[in-house]
Amino acid sequence: MSWLTEAFSGSFAQRALLEAVMVGIVSGVIGVHVLLRRLPFFTLAMGHATFPGVVLAALAGVNLLVGAGLFGMLVVVAVALLGARERIDDTSAIGVVLAGTFALGVLLLSAQSGFTKDLSAYLVGSIVTVQPADLLITAVTGVVVLGALATLHKELVLGAFDPGGLAALGYPAVTLDIVMLLLIELVVVTSVPAVGTILSVALITAPAATARLWTDRLGPTMVLSGALGAASGIIGLVVSRNLNVAAGATIVLVAAALFAGSLVIAPRRGAIPRRLVHRRAGRGAGSVSDVSVSERLA
Amino acid sequence: MPTEDEARAEALVIRHAAAAYDRTPVLEGVDGVVHAGESVALIGPNGAGKSTLLKAVLGLVPVVHGSITVLGRPPLAARREVAYVPQADTLDTEFPVTAGQVALMGRYPRVGWVRRPGRADRQAAAAALGEVGLADHAGRRFGSLSGGQRQRVLLARAIAQQARLLLLDEPFNGIDASSEELLLAALRRLRAAGAAVVVSTHDLALAHLFCDEVCLLNRHQFAFGPVATTLTPDLLRATYGGHALQLRGDSVILTQP
Amino acid sequence: MTHLLIEPFEVAFMQRALLAVLILGVLAGAVGVFVVLRRLAFVGDALTHTVFPGVVIAFLIGQSIFFGALAAALLSALLLTTLTSTRRVTPDAGLAILLTSFFAVGVVLVSRVQSYTADLSAFLFGRILAVDRAVLIQTLVVAAIVLTTLVALRKELLLRAFDPEGATAMGYRVDVLDLVLNVLVALVVVAAVKAVGTVLVIALIIVPAATARLLVDRVASMTAISCGLGALAGWLGLAISYDVSIQRGVRLASGATIVVVLVACFIFALAVGPGRRALARRFGGPPATSSTPGAG
Repeated sequence: MSWLTEAFSGSFAQRALLEAVMVGIVSGVIGVHVLLRRLPFFTLAMGHATFPGVVLAALAGVNLLVGAGLFGMLVVVAVALLGARERIDDTSAIGVVLAGTFALGVLLLSAQSGFTKDLSAYLVGSIVTVQPADLLITAVTGVVVLGALATLHKELVLGAFDPGGLAALGYPAVTLDIVMLLLIELVVVTSVPAVGTILSVALITAPAATARLWTDRLGPTMVLSGALGAASGIIGLVVSRNLNVAAGATIVLVAAALFAGSLVIAPRRGAIPRRLVHRRAGRGAGSVSDVSVSERLA
Repeated sequence: MPTEDEARAEALVIRHAAAAYDRTPVLEGVDGVVHAGESVALIGPNGAGKSTLLKAVLGLVPVVHGSITVLGRPPLAARREVAYVPQADTLDTEFPVTAGQVALMGRYPRVGWVRRPGRADRQAAAAALGEVGLADHAGRRFGSLSGGQRQRVLLARAIAQQARLLLLDEPFNGIDASSEELLLAALRRLRAAGAAVVVSTHDLALAHLFCDEVCLLNRHQFAFGPVATTLTPDLLRATYGGHALQLRGDSVILTQP
Repeated sequence: MTHLLIEPFEVAFMQRALLAVLILGVLAGAVGVFVVLRRLAFVGDALTHTVFPGVVIAFLIGQSIFFGALAAALLSALLLTTLTSTRRVTPDAGLAILLTSFFAVGVVLVSRVQSYTADLSAFLFGRILAVDRAVLIQTLVVAAIVLTTLVALRKELLLRAFDPEGATAMGYRVDVLDLVLNVLVALVVVAAVKAVGTVLVIALIIVPAATARLLVDRVASMTAISCGLGALAGWLGLAISYDVSIQRGVRLASGATIVVVLVACFIFALAVGPGRRALARRFGGPPATSSTPGAG
């Protein structure tokens, strides 16, 4: 196990690589759930909304990620409560929370010391300055998140597809929904050192969307998504090192490129193979319902 | 009353038409004529293609075989004189718009871009609401009305449009009896004034009561003709594939053979 | 109170800042009505991120930031509209990927420049107090274009928002109307870039309109309240941040203060909304809403 401890305390390059791989895998796997539940906007909002927590943590001298994580939980509750109100739709509610919390964070930060370097690192990541403590947090969180997803797999999938059905079976559907939101929040917060908050949604969304283009089955999607996330991390790091540009952003661009490429060449849903398959035996009205079902699972 | 010429005017002509969403046709072999002042019921099970046919008449779904002629023109060219009445449940009930505003929407194509609806338009919208018995509900928020009332507002929108062809997508689903009566009465008046009406419905008794002709559909057309000769147990059984059906009043119950 | 609200604006740069936030408040408030009604907060937010690389590129090649933002905004409005109508990926996922890719391009470009972090902050948060006459004029021109278009197209935009199928049936091109609205939102983002920055403009667009929706049931009054709130919050926010910064020595970012004022109004409306509607039901004439069974 000495390679493990060595990796954790090795050079900054080794730490960056390890962080990228861990964040990539966890983001990729939970990303499949995020897509199932149509939560990319919520995830983006989480990235912004945890910001005041970071500032408060910095003021209190506490680990930034812990501050972000705790504040993020408050935000999850706020979004859940707002969503239950009438006359405000979920999307607008998330928008208000995103804007409000981020402004609060900016306000606190400016009150304290004006804009500093920490701000940018928080927003767009700073993987090359990742510390062993951050790595540990990422590893632990990764284990917790993946463990929770594995344990609750069938319940979470059913809840995404048919919340009424889940509740009817006697499960605490709302609690499970909130658990899902909290898990997403944890992943977003631990992505901060790697890619920052604004870009964390990319690592969560793109590999999963790419995987969905290659397979329709949930299990393989998750595995592929995690692999793509890790791959994006590794390739992105290498490219950013060579071109001497921001690492987090490069990782994101690699993930996006993989997605764009798959849009074009992937067999089931890609553009090119579709044109090669002209006529099929007519499935009549089936083709319309095909689309709506596959949209739901997309 | 429409003149002899107007009465024979062909509002909708469908000739051996097939409609498709991608390349595979979802509906084939549709053939029939609807004249001004006539009403046709589209009857068939779920997924039969009733909505598809309505959308094809609106030019929203491509016709891959045969032709559809609306008021003597291709579907896309005739849209301003064709009114589509969707199911009320498809619309957001939280939307901050009043019944009066919805009815007024029917006048938009006539008003044109940029210009505001004028007094004539407002009067037409108010009159249309009166036609469906909702004149004093103009100021109520659309979503706060009952299902039947909302369906009537949507018909009022079509009336305000002064369309010559009306397409209604299952307007009688789950609405209260008085709304149904008011809808039927308004539709009868429209028909008497020369409009052609196409209604998709599950309600065979209603089709019998209100419509001149029926079109039986299930992925393709089984029949198109007068109610008396077309709404028969044999043809219905063929259309529905022999499934069990229940009708109101003292109509036929078909069961699995 | 008047002391707080008038005094800060005796200086020229504060007057320009005030004018800028008043115009932006009305502009964003008006567009925000449709963004909220059509649940486009995500699209709006995406546009604020996709504008970023345009701003950076313009800065790097020494061109006007305004036009860089404009180019990026129009391109992304087009891409956004296409993406949300394709079936191969859900709109959510597509938007998220587009948004982050564009933003990442901007970050990569900025990271090649030495003064990385300071410039990043300026793009993201704006510098309202550095608004000069040129910026004011640009803002006014954009406001004129956007508001005129909104007024001209308001009934069609309303119909599309309420009943897209009905709109198509009547002969309207829903995809074109959507593109137009996306372009309008993009223009508001561009107008706000220098003043409040890309990150906070989304608040100006969504929060006043969402607040107005909590209070009233008509699009017309919703628009009036939204614009009014946007302007008012701009004024209050500037005044408060000035007062606290100068008089009490705690530096408060102006843009963020404006947003916090807006969110405070929103929370207030959340609390007051139901009470106001109950009052209207009791004392008013035709109720704006009704709790009849079968509604909704």
